[in-house]
Amino acid sequence: MSDSSAPILEIRGLRHDYRQPDGSNQQALKLDSLEARRGERLVVSGPSGSGKTTLLHILAALIRPTHGEVIFSGQNLNGLGASRSTWRAASVGYIFQEMNLLPDFDILDNLLIAAEISNISHNAAIERAKSLISDLVLTDRMRSRPRKLSLGEQQRAAVARAVIHSPVLVLADEPTASLDADNTHIVMKLLLRLCEESQSLLIVATHEETLKKLASRTVLLEKAKSSSSYGELS
Amino acid sequence: MRFGVISRISLRHLSSRPFQTFSVISVVALSTALAVVLFLLTQGLRQGLVRAVEPFDIIVSAKGSPYQLVLNTVFLQDAPVGNILWSDCIDLSDDARVESAVPMGFGDSYRGFPIVGTTREILRIRASASGRPWLRVRDGRWFEGKYEAVLGAQAASVSGLTIGGKFRTSHGLSDTGDEHDETYEVTGILSEVMGPYDRAIFVNIEDIWAMHKTRAGTIKTRIAEEPPMDSREATAVLVQPVSYSAAYNLAASYQRDTRMQLVFPAQAAIRLFSIMGRSENFMSIIVHIVSGFALLVTLLALYWSAADRRTERLLLHILGASRRDLIIIVWLEGTFLIMAGVIVGEILGRAGVYAIFRLLSDAAAIEAPISLTLREAAIPASILAIGSICSLSVTIIDRHMGNEPHIGR
Repeated sequence: MSDSSAPILEIRGLRHDYRQPDGSNQQALKLDSLEARRGERLVVSGPSGSGKTTLLHILAALIRPTHGEVIFSGQNLNGLGASRSTWRAASVGYIFQEMNLLPDFDILDNLLIAAEISNISHNAAIERAKSLISDLVLTDRMRSRPRKLSLGEQQRAAVARAVIHSPVLVLADEPTASLDADNTHIVMKLLLRLCEESQSLLIVATHEETLKKLASRTVLLEKAKSSSSYGELS
Repeated sequence: MRFGVISRISLRHLSSRPFQTFSVISVVALSTALAVVLFLLTQGLRQGLVRAVEPFDIIVSAKGSPYQLVLNTVFLQDAPVGNILWSDCIDLSDDARVESAVPMGFGDSYRGFPIVGTTREILRIRASASGRPWLRVRDGRWFEGKYEAVLGAQAASVSGLTIGGKFRTSHGLSDTGDEHDETYEVTGILSEVMGPYDRAIFVNIEDIWAMHKTRAGTIKTRIAEEPPMDSREATAVLVQPVSYSAAYNLAASYQRDTRMQLVFPAQAAIRLFSIMGRSENFMSIIVHIVSGFALLVTLLALYWSAADRRTERLLLHILGASRRDLIIIVWLEGTFLIMAGVIVGEILGRAGVYAIFRLLSDAAAIEAPISLTLREAAIPASILAIGSICSLSVTIIDRHMGNEPHIGR
């Protein structure tokens, strides 16, 4: 029987270095420890170059850290090997600042492809996608390609795409940086609600102070060194 | 990632760039069509020539050009080389080395269809040693009485003549020749022989003798009358020897003959194949160059498409597509393009070959089967295989050019 209060994510001694053209290594991320539970909302903040995006990439198993361990649901992500893609497809939802959607596909197809990559059956994917699209008030834009949508609509569609398979972990990298205040509010409200419904762990990397207020915790990263601290509950 | 999703993404990539897709498919289709036309045309011509020559083991005629003789007697083209005496035909048929000697008389026509004067003996000719008779009456019967005619399959279908139909022949091989007074009646129609003789109209050679003597006015011949011995001639004699050695023995005896010649039509066909072979090699080089060009255009288009979609592939990778899935997406794009080009090219090529053979058939009744043999299928299959391998190489080149989806700085 699983303990709902047990951490779903554990980070120990995490460090990532990038190799420079001259052969030297440059530290891009350092995070000594972090634990997080399902349903939590974490905001990762810090100055440019502190490794916010690198951390999200490591958590999505897109890159392997040079040092340290990331344990997710008891599984060390370093040991995933060839099954990293499968794990990512099933467990992770990812939202970028922009360019989230496949430009040749309409909104519905963008959602269906994400769902089908996660091995959801076509019929179930259609049902879930339409429900999400309706929920996000995008029904009349369902058959529109991304270039026909406003940035706010695109980010709403990106939120739907990220949660269509009810992932355990939702990662958002500056999700509202291109949006105005109204759209920022709408998108974040939707994201928080949908993550709460599926009890996903939401980790948002951002510079924006307003988003920190929505977090249950804030993780502050510093350039070339890091610290982890509990933030105030919003 | 499921194959259905992968193929849907590949197809959408193609449909979202219709001009580029159309251009690549057109180039591949044209090169495939060219290869198909060259292959089927030469193969068809070879088969057509072999089939046309098959019933003619040996032809004996008046001295003249052997090629003209083959053209006239085998392909029913060009003017006859001249006539030989009927007594020479009788001598041939009495020769112990000869199994059958069938006289043939040319020179008249009906609406462009050549009239072949002959005897019933022609029905004994076989297309090959073990094969069925060359000419078989499909409807009606072979000619028996005076001024009766049997039509080749194409002559019947094109002229519209049916059994019981009546017609008059013209002197010469064109429609403009003087019309003879005598009227022929159709008594039979032959099965298709898939060769020049489908255009022939067979009549009794004795009727031709009678008709021409009447026309010349030298002898007043009525239909019931037997033409005099000295007026009987034949343009050629189709000889089937009793054996190979008999055939060469017979050929040797005609070598020093000043009036007559003996020709093996198969030898003329072999010389023709040799000439065809040289032009085939030249055409084959052109086809290879065009195919190489088409492949290059496809690869460039694929490469630019792949390079241009770096962000999309990155997105798919983040969604959970593996590197293998991303390679398959690009590979499928190339394979779909080449497959579409090959299918369109195959259809175009075959339509072109069909049209060419229809023209040839109308003019010379050289028929070529438009079938799909294993050897013919090798053309599209090899283009597809090479294109498919090259598409795969695009993903490797793309990766080495730094366009591989890569996370991190």
